[in-house]
Amino acid sequence: MSMSTAAEATAVEHKDAGPVFAVEGLWKVFGPKADRVPGDAELAALTPAELRSRTGCTAAVRDVSFEVRKGEVFVVMGLSGSGKSTLVRCLTRLIEPTAGTIVIDGEDVRAMDKTRLRELRRHRAAMVFQHFGLLPHRSVLDNVAYGLEVQGVPKRERREKAREVVAKVGLEGMEQRRPGQLSGGQQQRVGLARALAVDPEVLLFDEPFSALDPLIRRDMQEEVIRLHREEGRTMVFITHDLNEALRLGDRIALMRDGRVVQLGTPEEIVGSPADDYVREFVRDVPREQVLTVRTAMRAASAEEAGEGPALAPEATVSEAIEAVARSGRTARVMDQGRCLGVVDSDALLEVVAGTGGRSSGSATGWSSGSATERSSGSATGRSTGSATDPAEPAREGMA
Amino acid sequence: MATATAPVPHTGVTGLLRNRALAKLLLLAVAAAVLVPLVDSRWSSGTWPDALTVDLSEPLGRASDWIIDNRDSHPLFLYFFGHVSNAVVLSVRAVYLVLLAVGWAGVTAAAALVAWRVAGVRLALGTAVAFLTCGLLGMWVPTMQTLALMVVAVLASVALGALLGLAAGLSDRTYRALRPVLDTMQVLPAFAYLLPVVLVFGIGVPAAVLATVVYAAPPMARLTALGLRGADAGVMEAVESLGTTARQRLLTARLPLARKELLLGLNQTIMMALSMAVIASVIGAGGLGDRVYQALASVDVGAALAAGIPIVLLAVVLDRVTAAAGERLGGESKSPWTGWTYAAVAALAVAVAGRLTDRLDWPETWLVNIAEPVNRAVDWMTDHLYSGVPYVGGTADWAGHFTTWVLDPLRDGLQWLPWWSVLLIVAALAWLIGTWRTALTAVLAMAAIGVLGVWQPSLDTLSQVLAAVAVTLVLGFATGIAAARSERCERLLRPVLDVFQTMPQFVYLIPVVALFGVGRAPAVAAAVVYALPAVVRITTQGLRQVDPAAMESSRSLGATSWQQLRQVQLPLARSALLLAVNQGVVLVLAVVIIGGLVGGGALGYDVVFGLAQGDLATGLVAGAAIVCLGLMLDRVTQPTQRRTKKGA
Repeated sequence: MSMSTAAEATAVEHKDAGPVFAVEGLWKVFGPKADRVPGDAELAALTPAELRSRTGCTAAVRDVSFEVRKGEVFVVMGLSGSGKSTLVRCLTRLIEPTAGTIVIDGEDVRAMDKTRLRELRRHRAAMVFQHFGLLPHRSVLDNVAYGLEVQGVPKRERREKAREVVAKVGLEGMEQRRPGQLSGGQQQRVGLARALAVDPEVLLFDEPFSALDPLIRRDMQEEVIRLHREEGRTMVFITHDLNEALRLGDRIALMRDGRVVQLGTPEEIVGSPADDYVREFVRDVPREQVLTVRTAMRAASAEEAGEGPALAPEATVSEAIEAVARSGRTARVMDQGRCLGVVDSDALLEVVAGTGGRSSGSATGWSSGSATERSSGSATGRSTGSATDPAEPAREGMA
Repeated sequence: MATATAPVPHTGVTGLLRNRALAKLLLLAVAAAVLVPLVDSRWSSGTWPDALTVDLSEPLGRASDWIIDNRDSHPLFLYFFGHVSNAVVLSVRAVYLVLLAVGWAGVTAAAALVAWRVAGVRLALGTAVAFLTCGLLGMWVPTMQTLALMVVAVLASVALGALLGLAAGLSDRTYRALRPVLDTMQVLPAFAYLLPVVLVFGIGVPAAVLATVVYAAPPMARLTALGLRGADAGVMEAVESLGTTARQRLLTARLPLARKELLLGLNQTIMMALSMAVIASVIGAGGLGDRVYQALASVDVGAALAAGIPIVLLAVVLDRVTAAAGERLGGESKSPWTGWTYAAVAALAVAVAGRLTDRLDWPETWLVNIAEPVNRAVDWMTDHLYSGVPYVGGTADWAGHFTTWVLDPLRDGLQWLPWWSVLLIVAALAWLIGTWRTALTAVLAMAAIGVLGVWQPSLDTLSQVLAAVAVTLVLGFATGIAAARSERCERLLRPVLDVFQTMPQFVYLIPVVALFGVGRAPAVAAAVVYALPAVVRITTQGLRQVDPAAMESSRSLGATSWQQLRQVQLPLARSALLLAVNQGVVLVLAVVIIGGLVGGGALGYDVVFGLAQGDLATGLVAGAAIVCLGLMLDRVTQPTQRRTKKGA
């Protein structure tokens, strides 16, 4: 995914303002006497099947910690049953967590009383659902205005705001339709508009596009990318679709059986999988479209540093391949006029083949616990280059 | 897994089922072998032993006497039932006076305009025609009486049902407590409700209204609860995620999401209220039902028909209009209020015009007397069709033969069976079809009948029910299969079934009396006609809902259509067929009991006799036996999953 420079600027600006969401040691256990599981080290270490046979409990979320930074798209991805949907519902306590802490902007969510929690849901975090959750008896406009109605905003004002948001998601002219008369993609646009209308600090997406056709899904992903570029709103995005995660996510938390098995940028996940499960998962990903030239870079000799096409450090390997193939020589990786290194066709080929022995930069030495801190540098940095924004320096070099 | 299943090659699913059924029967046989000699040696008699009977007629008689003596003095009656009774009388009276004050033209116009607003032009015309027909038949005043009673009863039922439904819809505990009660109330024949209210309120309008309310409120409560509980979980979650309060969730999401069920509940409540309001003529409801009741008492088919036609028209109009209101949901209406304003203004104008021209009462000259021609036709039928028609015999002959060859042997056979064997048969059937729980309830209900001391008449009623159910099932399954297999057949049947399913039970007695005279056979015939539409409909639906993929695969294997029916459709539609049996039994019982009014005898007659003679004890015991019989029959035929709604 890519962000405009404006969005990046806001992201950088708030970088030191602390995370939007900070989740620490979060557990959600379903079943009888669920409370005892998180505290009990022995029970907590069991596999899901053992836990179920021993206690009759199912641990949907197991000891999950992460932070969501302001302005980023944080993707939680995993297969069905991995606990990702439970996790996102715990954030606003639609599902009451069993243990752990959730902090939003420094305020403890689990300590909130009813009124405060309602405030949180009304103003700070709005959610978009897989099955839309629209009210079938209301028009599109009234569905979008519903969140404001709940807050007690006067009719005229909320309708005006709703009309604005409806236009923003591209549904002009359909204000008076009922949800039943819309296609799936349009319904989800209404769901998105409803969440946007309350102007929340964070948008939570729970597999919003899983129920849609592939083409429409792509449209909607672009819609989200566009919205994020325009508004720079913080987003937590749940998905089971790896491609979607890679397309949208600044950072991805990969979940399995309730645990986060790896947390990092798309490049880290694809370039240096934490374990065999993740490796298996990302095996079919076209690596050259995710990994950046940093992965294939080596130190430049004096001769190489002087000439050849120039690439930004965030350019993808596939872009580098194009540049190298056109010029027929090594390409330089340039950062603010300084040559960081060069890539040649052999190194690039190794990345594509997945045989590259050296994994460089931020991708080395990854471990689960320190992922949050480690990846912080590349999280916002990475997203400036790549797919939708062909690396300018490469063109210049060629010309 | 493979190794685990390999050593037991012979237990397929059917084998297992058969084994389970066999195991149940065996267990029952063992229990019987121990218990039967024991009880037989102590209380050996064909009928229920006197030693096990509790005579309730004396205490019940005393209770009823006490109530009659204290009705005007005891505080409970003065300060509670008295007020209830007065309120009912006053409100019915008020509605009746308003209807009369508006005049026939005003009422017709108002009804038609309401129908136009909620259901469109065609139904508006139909409504107007129906009301005018009521007037033409000389039944305007009785129609208004019935309508006034209905309005009050329906409003009370809806309010009561909606409240109960709201409680059950929002609280799991209330739901669990209420559901079995509502389920049971829905299988009880209308007649069972009459006596308890008469006991408290005496014969009259209050008793009639309250019996109607008790009978008609359960579907509203049931469907309200169902609708509220069935709200789309995804929508409710989304609504919660926006920070709604509990009140906002109920008012803006849960209730609107349940609109379809609420309107269906209203529809069913209205239909059941009409059905009961007509039957309640037996306890002083007045109006159309009373006309039918009086006419039937003197076997005046013409007069009964003249009052019966308005009942049917009223039923059809009410059903179609409320059903159409439900179907119209979700359609956009741009400005609902202007339409209603026009309708209100037009109705008012017609009413005022009627007032000014002084034509409030239906004009005497605009009457069509159908009683006489109908009676002449019936007389002709009596002379020519009752008996002696060459080769086919006559209707009375058929009724006679049916009584001699089917009903009598069945009744005598049942009464000849030792009492414990009846219990055993009930237990076996209920256990095979349902669970041990339903079997236990069924046996206890049957035993209660014996304890009440009405074993013989109950078995008489049971014999009529069994005969009617057998005929209903044969005809119903055959028609249902035909309709499921042929599109044209179903198209032809549908409007017929629609009309038949909306008619109140009482009305079915009129044609059978015309055809067969009085006796047990006509009661059975009425029951068959009443239960048939529901059975046909459920059978057709069940067969049609069979997974098309299964049908297709059997066709691809070259199965003939008979093989398809026997090997795929019928087994897969098993639960629907069982449901059809269950519905058939419940509906048949309701009408067989009412058949007491046309010479059906047995329990139904006891109730009518008790009411007519003021011998409430006899009636109450018979009523309790009806409840037990209904419970027993329902549990015996209860498939594992519950039905969702009553057929009528």
